[in-house]
Amino acid sequence: MIEVAGSLKRRLAVWLLLTVTGLGALLMIEAWSSTHRAAERAFDSQLEAAALTIAEAVQWQGGEPLVEIPAAALQILATRHQERVFYAVLDADGQPVSTNMPFTIKPEWRAQVADAPWTLTTAFDDTSWRLYGREYDSAGWVSQEPVQVWVGHTRAGRQALGDELFERTLSRFLAMVLLAGVLMAMALRVALGPMRRLRRQLRQRDADDMGPLDARVPEEMRELAQTLDHLFARQRHSREALLRFTADASHQLKTPLAGLKSTSELALKSQDPADWQAALLAVHDGADRTSRLASQLLSLARLRHIGEEGKVTPLDIVAVLRECVLDWAGREVARDHDLGLAELAGGPLWVRADGWAIRELLGNLIDNALRYTPAGSEITLGLSRHGDTVSLYVEDDGPGVPFEARERLLQPFERGGRQDTDGSGLGLAIVDSIARQLGGRLSLSERSPHGLIVTLHLPLIDPPSDHDASRPGEPGATRETPS
Amino acid sequence: MTLCRHRFAWMLLVPLCALALSARAQATPLVVEAALDIEVVEPLLEAFRSAHPEIDLEFHDRSTLTVDALVSEADPAPDVVISSAMPWQMARVNEGYAQRLDSPAARNWPDWAKWRNEVFGFTFEPIVMAYRLDLSKQMMPPQTHADLHTLLTTEASHLQGKVTTYSPLKSGVGLSLFQQDARYTPRFWDLVAGMGRVNASLEANTRAMLQGLSDGRYWLGYNLLGSYAMVWAQEHPEVIVQVPQDYSLVMMRMAFIHRDAPHPKAAAAFVNFLLGREGQRVLAGQTPLFSVRPDIVGPYTAARLRDQVGDRLYPIPLNASLLAFVDPQRRDAFLARWRREFERSRPAANEQVFIQDSD
Repeated sequence: MIEVAGSLKRRLAVWLLLTVTGLGALLMIEAWSSTHRAAERAFDSQLEAAALTIAEAVQWQGGEPLVEIPAAALQILATRHQERVFYAVLDADGQPVSTNMPFTIKPEWRAQVADAPWTLTTAFDDTSWRLYGREYDSAGWVSQEPVQVWVGHTRAGRQALGDELFERTLSRFLAMVLLAGVLMAMALRVALGPMRRLRRQLRQRDADDMGPLDARVPEEMRELAQTLDHLFARQRHSREALLRFTADASHQLKTPLAGLKSTSELALKSQDPADWQAALLAVHDGADRTSRLASQLLSLARLRHIGEEGKVTPLDIVAVLRECVLDWAGREVARDHDLGLAELAGGPLWVRADGWAIRELLGNLIDNALRYTPAGSEITLGLSRHGDTVSLYVEDDGPGVPFEARERLLQPFERGGRQDTDGSGLGLAIVDSIARQLGGRLSLSERSPHGLIVTLHLPLIDPPSDHDASRPGEPGATRETPS
Repeated sequence: MTLCRHRFAWMLLVPLCALALSARAQATPLVVEAALDIEVVEPLLEAFRSAHPEIDLEFHDRSTLTVDALVSEADPAPDVVISSAMPWQMARVNEGYAQRLDSPAARNWPDWAKWRNEVFGFTFEPIVMAYRLDLSKQMMPPQTHADLHTLLTTEASHLQGKVTTYSPLKSGVGLSLFQQDARYTPRFWDLVAGMGRVNASLEANTRAMLQGLSDGRYWLGYNLLGSYAMVWAQEHPEVIVQVPQDYSLVMMRMAFIHRDAPHPKAAAAFVNFLLGREGQRVLAGQTPLFSVRPDIVGPYTAARLRDQVGDRLYPIPLNASLLAFVDPQRRDAFLARWRREFERSRPAANEQVFIQDSD
């Protein structure tokens, strides 16, 4: 059973959605960090520019640095986002020459900046600030000490720019996903069109239309269409076989019934009780044959319909075989034949089978052998083991069957070209059905110098731990002949 | 302005407050510390009180220096701070003393008159020259800065002691105005030198200059607040107000809600009123403070002033560059230069101009 809940479209959509969501989330995380990095870089360069502008304004007067803070520097610092701004010019000792806020520039920051310009993010007044520090060597007449210029601003603009860039990326991505989704849905619709057409065609088919599909389908579905065609062909064949079987069965039943009718009509016209007696005997025999034919037809139909519902248990085939042969040897029909068992293997051999089916099978094979061989023929049943299969064979030294006829023997109502018996021709068909049902295989071969061997190959199974499933058979050591 | 008017303010306010308190014990108090003449702004305050009877407005008129000090020192902090010393207000906002106002009025306020949606310039006051009628009998009254410079050079003897302007030491506004002047042209320093040549009197506020003009002590005043001068001129016909024809600075009073305002809702209501249509209409109609909003009609609006003066109005930009003007080193350097230029061609002084820096 193929378990596919929901529609193909939905499955595709779910997978697509999962993939897009997963990849999209990763992509968006990357986009978020990169847009914010870009915003930081853009604003950091504003800090550098402002620091440079302030540094330009530093002058030395009487050995003291003097700075007239340029208004432009503050405007650069504030940016168009109107950030709060901070600036400080520190002398070589870290003392502020000029500053606008009581921001503490830590000594380690100063040390860092002495080496190279440095940017850092810090908190002051419950607000996040971005600071930039840079040391400038200045040339004065008296002193050549370096000064450090620190500038900083709040980070609202960075956030805003980063968010804005990110939102732009996000909205583009979402639009793309949406568009891709719509296109995908359309593509799916187009791609699944043949499937839909096929479905409609199948739905509109007549119940007994077994003709091949007339559908031109894409490559991926060609196999499905071909399989369907094969299925239809098989169904057509089996239906034809069924019709043929029914026709044959009716025909077979009609002949003995016609015989019965004519016999009884003749008897009715006669006034002689002896004729009546003879007719009644003939009618009795005919009814017997007809009844047997009907029961065989019934078994065949039953076998073909029984499916897997039959009770299948581990079974010792050795015991069943012995029991069956003993049963048949004692019957009236086996009176003129030499029915016997070949030497059997040591222990029990287990197969998975229904006891009824095996007995039916053996019965049919023995009955066939008795029926189609001349009186006095020797019929031998035996078992041989080959690895994990067991072969049950029935051989006779009768006339045998020509090679060409053998395959057809398995068809119902086939008597191997013989018209001289009162068999129905259903025996081997029944045997074949049973063999198939048990997962086995039936083969016919020639026995030299003459005769026929019918072999049933069955797979062996491990002996069951529970021996109640079947009675273990006793190993037979010698060929047993009926008394 | 910079002159303290505590007593007057208290005389006016105490009975009002008492009345308000007895009538509405539940009223939310609101403390406004402002460098803004209460006489000038009274119509606005009255309008606010009638619009918001649930708020008990307490308006303190102080000098710019006091207002600035109160921002960091007052406990509890004032709710709203108003001052004309634009760089100082800016510095306080930059230090984080203001809180953001998020309202339609704040959002719609023109960008050039606000910063960070925290501080708002809500008036539009041109900086003017004023002269006594007597002056025009002696000489051609100045219409531009260049005219003034020429007069100070050619008529130095006539104008000796008759010219007045702000003292950059005693007035924060005066210093700001000079700094802005210096920003536009280096020839400003020639003007300062000219002031020195005529031994100009340096006053601490516009009102003192106007009083001197009316009294006949001064003939010519430079860098007066137009808002006060225009009102004065209406009552004192001997005083003529001249908006400079080359360029005229425009000052804005800046208001912000204190970060630690004890009554932030009332404070927001007040600032929204200042920026709103109603408050600005009062400003335009009943005070000479001039409305900033272009959609207000009245005798005192920025739009009308522009029509009269042309495009020569230069509002002091309300942005981070203002912060440079409170930098102590820069201020000191500026004052040093101012002093140098002022003293350069000054005749032997019989009075010490730069006494002590006091409020």
